[in-house]
Amino acid sequence: MPVPTAALVSNSQMGKKSPTESHIQVDPQWAWKPYEPCAEQPWNLRWAGHLYRRAAFGATWKQLQQALADGPQKTADHLLRPQVDINGFDQELGEYESSAAKSESAEGIRAWWLRRMIQTPHPLLEKMTLFWHGHFALSNTSVKNAQLMYQYICLLRQNAMGSYESLFDGIAHNPAMLIALDSEKNRKAQPNENFALELLQAFGLGPSHFTENDVRETARAFTGWFVMKNQSRFIPREHDAGSKKILGEEGNFTSKDAIQTVLRQPAASRFVIRKLYRWFISEIEYPPDPLMAPLEESFAKDYDIEKLVSTMLRSNIFFSQTAYRKRIKSPVEFALGIIQGMEANVSTTKLGQDLAALGQNLYHPPTIKGWPGGRHWINSATLLSRCNLANALLSDKSLYGGKLSPLAIAKKHGFSKPDSTCKFLLDLYLQGDLDSEARESLLKRVPQSTEANDYSLELNQYAQQIFSLPEYQLV
Amino acid sequence: MLRRFITLLCFGFIAALQTANADEPLPPVAQWFPQDAILTLEISKTTDLLDLVLSPILIKAVTSTPAYQNAASQTGFKEFQGVIQYLETILGIDWKSAVQKLLGKGVTLAFLPDEAFLLAIDAEDEDLLKQLHDTLLGFAKDDAIKKGEPDKVESKEYQGVTGWTLDGKEAHVIIGNRLLYSNKSKVLKDVLDRRAGLINQNLTENQVYQSAKKTVNADAALSIFLRLDILNKLPQMQKALAQNMNPLLALLLAEIPEAIQKSNWLSLALDVSEETLSLNASMDGMLSDTAGPMTFARPDKSNNGAPPILTVPRQIAGISFYRDLYKFYAAKDDLFPERTSGLIFFENMMGIFFTGRDLTEEVWKETKPEIRIVAAKQEYDPSIGIPGTQFPAFAVIFKLHNPQKFGEVVEEAWQKAIGLINFTRGQQAQPGLLIDRPVYNDIKITSTYFSSVQEEKKTNLDTRYNFQPTLARIDDNLIFSSTDQLAKDLIDSLKKEKEQSVESLKNTHSVVELDAVQISSILKTNRETMVRQNMVEKGISREDAETEFDLLTYVINYLGHASLNVGTQKAHTNAKLEIKLNLPNQ
Repeated sequence: MPVPTAALVSNSQMGKKSPTESHIQVDPQWAWKPYEPCAEQPWNLRWAGHLYRRAAFGATWKQLQQALADGPQKTADHLLRPQVDINGFDQELGEYESSAAKSESAEGIRAWWLRRMIQTPHPLLEKMTLFWHGHFALSNTSVKNAQLMYQYICLLRQNAMGSYESLFDGIAHNPAMLIALDSEKNRKAQPNENFALELLQAFGLGPSHFTENDVRETARAFTGWFVMKNQSRFIPREHDAGSKKILGEEGNFTSKDAIQTVLRQPAASRFVIRKLYRWFISEIEYPPDPLMAPLEESFAKDYDIEKLVSTMLRSNIFFSQTAYRKRIKSPVEFALGIIQGMEANVSTTKLGQDLAALGQNLYHPPTIKGWPGGRHWINSATLLSRCNLANALLSDKSLYGGKLSPLAIAKKHGFSKPDSTCKFLLDLYLQGDLDSEARESLLKRVPQSTEANDYSLELNQYAQQIFSLPEYQLV
Repeated sequence: MLRRFITLLCFGFIAALQTANADEPLPPVAQWFPQDAILTLEISKTTDLLDLVLSPILIKAVTSTPAYQNAASQTGFKEFQGVIQYLETILGIDWKSAVQKLLGKGVTLAFLPDEAFLLAIDAEDEDLLKQLHDTLLGFAKDDAIKKGEPDKVESKEYQGVTGWTLDGKEAHVIIGNRLLYSNKSKVLKDVLDRRAGLINQNLTENQVYQSAKKTVNADAALSIFLRLDILNKLPQMQKALAQNMNPLLALLLAEIPEAIQKSNWLSLALDVSEETLSLNASMDGMLSDTAGPMTFARPDKSNNGAPPILTVPRQIAGISFYRDLYKFYAAKDDLFPERTSGLIFFENMMGIFFTGRDLTEEVWKETKPEIRIVAAKQEYDPSIGIPGTQFPAFAVIFKLHNPQKFGEVVEEAWQKAIGLINFTRGQQAQPGLLIDRPVYNDIKITSTYFSSVQEEKKTNLDTRYNFQPTLARIDDNLIFSSTDQLAKDLIDSLKKEKEQSVESLKNTHSVVELDAVQISSILKTNRETMVRQNMVEKGISREDAETEFDLLTYVINYLGHASLNVGTQKAHTNAKLEIKLNLPNQ
């Protein structure tokens, strides 16, 4: 069974298994049924933290406590459709973001997106936007236009939990996408096969589900699409209206028809659902076909992303050892998890730069396939950089200005003594779930100083220890 | 809160009791200070500074800021005010008078090696100093009892003087009316040894200090002496002053880095006169001879120098340089032996614009060393459009040796550059500049602009609407301006200057003048943009960003008008900064 870097996953974690499941053969009916807490699998802080790590960017103490009181399904309801004023927030942030985009500040739109991720009342929407940014991966390195990149992220956000069909269609005709794939001019006399190849391979079906002829014919279907004055425009005279044969279907296909044809392929649903499985459930194991079949069948009917995400987040398999800590945190998840727990805000301009140095430069995925993720996030250099970032976030001498304070957040929630404060931090970030060796090691680091400044510093060091634990690197 | 307040006050004033020979007049404070002080700050005329700092006008200026009013409404601030009132009652004196009596006879601060510092305060009222100290000691002891903590206040006899510490780290003594305070007890012990004659060397015997001190007017309210001979040995300093720096920075700073490298000391003297602050800086480093590569900023004749600042309406800044660009560029191989790719690209581009002319001999040699830069706030025509973010207009004015002959060469280069900009923008599907050649005040100018005809709304437009790049030539003056309006204002200004026959500023190679009121005004115009930027750069709320911004604009507004003159006299570099405050009326 493949596992993440050995150093990252403690043996005790990997050894735990639900008594009713097997990693290779899981009953699909059981797997996708909504999880109901029981004596064997009770709802507790551990699962509440797990849900918030996957469906959001970590949790505050209050959110964890509320989740404990509400139970899994109500918490999932809240994450999927929060009953708060999202429009007001969206409008305010949108104004800031569009202003930064208008002044062509790529750094500005990155900083505002991170700020949105920290403050949003609907974190799942941002988490899904980030997912789609890694799936339909465009980089400003190719596009070189902050306004178009911002519009592209807006398109992802707008459809992040909506219809996959609309999302795919929007992306395929998005000016930033056409520019990124050198497809600003799709002339009848010179169809852009590179664009068609990426559309089928990187976004639609994955490799090995189409032929060279499908690529050529899809390229013909997209003729007539141009980017002019930074807008997508269809010029009928440049469209090849002749008959085409794409993926076994024949007709005078337009670009929209081509997309419909792609989406009708079983491979299309399978491709995106398996990516979402890696995102929400596990990136360790390749899920067996029977397990995924019910989801693929359902998704192919309506392409409803929210329904699919809801099924995953509520499922028995999500709240099982198959999913628990089975993905490595991306740099964004690593940093935002720390910030969320401390209930503070930091310089997102600086954070954007630091995350780029850690390998996740928002608006600049490395290739059209997005960030490879998984064990690619971690090596000896990035692990050290993660520790340094955690250190910088907590230090009042860094450019972050020491706005994250373990002492202050513990006091806010009524924990003032060293032992209880340390336990609080452990519960907040790891829900107290770590092996005895790590726990013993941390116990030795409980602050002892009676001097207020020294105590605060020691508590910061304690928190840094938590953030450098293998368990904290897992989502 | 109380404890923090006490610590704060202790850092400022603290006192310790017990003085030996209390009735004897104390020697100058520098005689007790160590020779190896890296930076020494002396406030000899504290009353001049305090009169300004505690003047009703300045207090009004501070208390009227939104930041102060916001802070004043906080509980912590009210507690602080309560403690001040309590101290005023106990000491029987209001806080302003107390500050004047405690600091009245001078303050000296020295930064020493190993991150140590030594502070000396000569109080006007010795009794008040002791009384305050006793009160603060009482506070510290009470606070410890309240918190159930051990009393950390300790005292110890040394050289017949009682030294005190509040936290086991800092140390202080009072001798007569003088408080001595250091963050390291060893420093204070050395002071007492020096006072007792056990250590002979003191700051006044240091030759570097003596030389620097001579350059400072005895009437200066504040003086600072910096040991450059020590700082120049630091690798960071050596790196910062390295000759192989950015060419633009080298052109701007001219001989200043060399002067610092060759100097043992830097002295700064501050004079306060009503609402004007004047800061004079001197260094002892002798500059190289007139043939050296760095002499491009040294006037070749005694009556040459930077030209006077040009003035235009809504002016934000005026800068005037004496820089021989021909001499500078001809020495580029000495100045920048490792020429950067940026410089090569620049030369290639200039070769295109100037039709293959040699940049050094056929372009820069055509320019005179008098260069002026002007920045001014823009006024926008609402019918054309107002950009969302408003930039100041700026212009560079060169003087030409052969304006008739070389004027057309520059005109051709300018039109090529506009063409290149348009071509590049066109590649990115962005609108280009339209060229116009109107006549203004009998001068033909080449003006360019972005058309706003197709803009539905004429407000909150793109930043490009801040620019109408314009070229104009009047007599031997060549104007490169970011806007057509500023070019026209400069034509008016240059015509007026011609009528007045102004002279260059002798012994001066750089002059900078800033109008803080205009800077504040343009910042306020862009308030929304800057507040938003502050939010993400600092990770703060909108309210906090607004408070910070408003405080900044208030402070800038009060700075009024600032001017900086830098020059060389008898191979020595000197500078003068003058700030005329713009305080509100009483």
